[in-house]
Amino acid sequence: MSLLEVENLHTHFISRTLNDELRVAKGLNGVTFSLENGEIMGLVGETGAGKSLTAMSIMGLLSPPARIVDGSARFDGIELTNMKREELDQLRGNEITMIVQSPVSSLDPLKRIGRQLVRIQQVHQDISKAEAHQRAVEMLRTVGIPNPALRTRAWPHELSGGMAQRVLIAMALINSPRLVIADEPTTGLDVTVQAQILDLFLDLVRERGLSAIIITHDLGIVAHYCSKMAVMFAGRVVEQGPVRTVFKDARHPYTRALINSTPSRVARYGHVRSAGGAPPNLYDLPKGCHYRDRCEFSADICATIPPEVHLDSAHLASCHFSLNVPWAAEG
Amino acid sequence: MSSETLAQPLGGRIQWLRRPRGIARRSPTFAAGLIIILVYGFVALFAPVLTPFDAINAFPYHVLESPNGRFLLGTDGNGMDVLSRVMYGTRYAFGIAIPAVILMVAIGVPLGLIAGYKGGILDEVLLRILDVMRSFPAIILALAVVAATGQTLVNVVVVLGLVEAPIFARVVRAEVLALRSGGYVEAAVAAGNPVRRLLFVHIMPNAISGATAQIPLRMAWAVRASATLAFLGVGIQAPAPEWGAMIRQGAEFLISGQWWVALFPGVALVGIVLGFNLVGDGLHDLLDPKSKTASK
Repeated sequence: MSLLEVENLHTHFISRTLNDELRVAKGLNGVTFSLENGEIMGLVGETGAGKSLTAMSIMGLLSPPARIVDGSARFDGIELTNMKREELDQLRGNEITMIVQSPVSSLDPLKRIGRQLVRIQQVHQDISKAEAHQRAVEMLRTVGIPNPALRTRAWPHELSGGMAQRVLIAMALINSPRLVIADEPTTGLDVTVQAQILDLFLDLVRERGLSAIIITHDLGIVAHYCSKMAVMFAGRVVEQGPVRTVFKDARHPYTRALINSTPSRVARYGHVRSAGGAPPNLYDLPKGCHYRDRCEFSADICATIPPEVHLDSAHLASCHFSLNVPWAAEG
Repeated sequence: MSSETLAQPLGGRIQWLRRPRGIARRSPTFAAGLIIILVYGFVALFAPVLTPFDAINAFPYHVLESPNGRFLLGTDGNGMDVLSRVMYGTRYAFGIAIPAVILMVAIGVPLGLIAGYKGGILDEVLLRILDVMRSFPAIILALAVVAATGQTLVNVVVVLGLVEAPIFARVVRAEVLALRSGGYVEAAVAAGNPVRRLLFVHIMPNAISGATAQIPLRMAWAVRASATLAFLGVGIQAPAPEWGAMIRQGAEFLISGQWWVALFPGVALVGIVLGFNLVGDGLHDLLDPKSKTASK
């Protein structure tokens, strides 16, 4: 049994227009992936592909008009999608934690960071305040915050972006979770700090044998840190598999376009292979393959829903041509 | 940020001494208002020591005396000392305003938190009920309810508190709506905080700055409203030394030239209302440096 199994997850935004017609934005349209213990998965895709929405659906953070309409997400065999709030609260912040974007605004502005680190332990564990504080100091030291005992008395606004992100990582790891979801953990940080934070975060994850999902649109991060990747497009995972395999032998045209648009590839081939085009309209998705309007290989058959092709035990792609890719001849 | 710059504001106990001066410089309005209220508060606390006579001690041979050496602010129609009565009146003012505002906060803030956080039908229903309450002029509603339920001090307090609770609910709700989605509230949900904790520990402290600025303004309103009720003959009755009741009694003598009976409780009333309003305006500026507009 996998640690996290997401199966055919559909999350839609259901709202009414001004003239009272139902309007459905299909955010997720059958997301399926699984994560084993100790695996680090990169979830990539363009803006609006549903990366964060997947994370929020798993964590039960959706609020109206967003709602899960179909599918399941199981953590350690336990269904998450229909869990009661109280039970979910036992899991979140404890077994599954999340590191969100915009670190500074994710800390309660009126509580000192030490207090926040202490409280997140006390919410989930029977632990004395002194002991919790001791652990908070150690955790801050682990995430590389200088003079941690003093910093526990700092207010969130006194921290820089990188420091706040370190504090959030400390909060995410302090309860020894089994799964950490990092939603674009380094957005808004400069490149050197990004690398420091990711190195630190993933060292800690590996050291403790945790599983992690890293949501990003930076393929470099995925290539560097992850063992497995899933590429999302318009609310579906279009290709997933071990990072090496996917990079070497992409079987979905979108994955290929993404990989070919990274700067190093552009430099090598001398021209920009854009993965271009606007994301599809979620209110009115194309029938069949969602990528077909932007795909350079689209054919008549693409109007039907593409099959999920198992290329080997771990590598999956959803394209009619996955077994016989049209670009094979190009090299 | 070096560790020194961080350490300094954290370690200093001296802060507390510097603070009042800092606040006075940032908002002279607040300081002036606070001084007025503190003077009234002092008088209320030590009224028995400070007053020359008891508030309901009548001197039958000194009825309607103009201000003189013995009765500094004159005497009223019952021969009671106006100064002593005005000073004891501060006890009624605070005694009504403080519990009434506590009641407003105790009802309004949780309602606002829940309505703002839960949203949907619950929010809609709560808001409509509050709208209905607000659509009556507060004083008339209070007048009707106090007249109907019996004219006791407790009733006045409860009615004033209920009538103005919607203001707190609305102010808090608006701030909760702004906080609810995204940011640290979402992070707190993701950390597994139960709803109750989320509302009262994480959302409330960040959502009550507007309500805090309302507190002194509602105090001013409560003092004014209770005086108005008493003036109209509802609520607290003479010979209790309540300013509204004293003004009502004194109004009868204005025509015949005994101005002091009505004037001095009126001045006291204006003073305390002014003090509360200054505190309210100042607090508004202190808590929200972006907005320079003074509320009513």
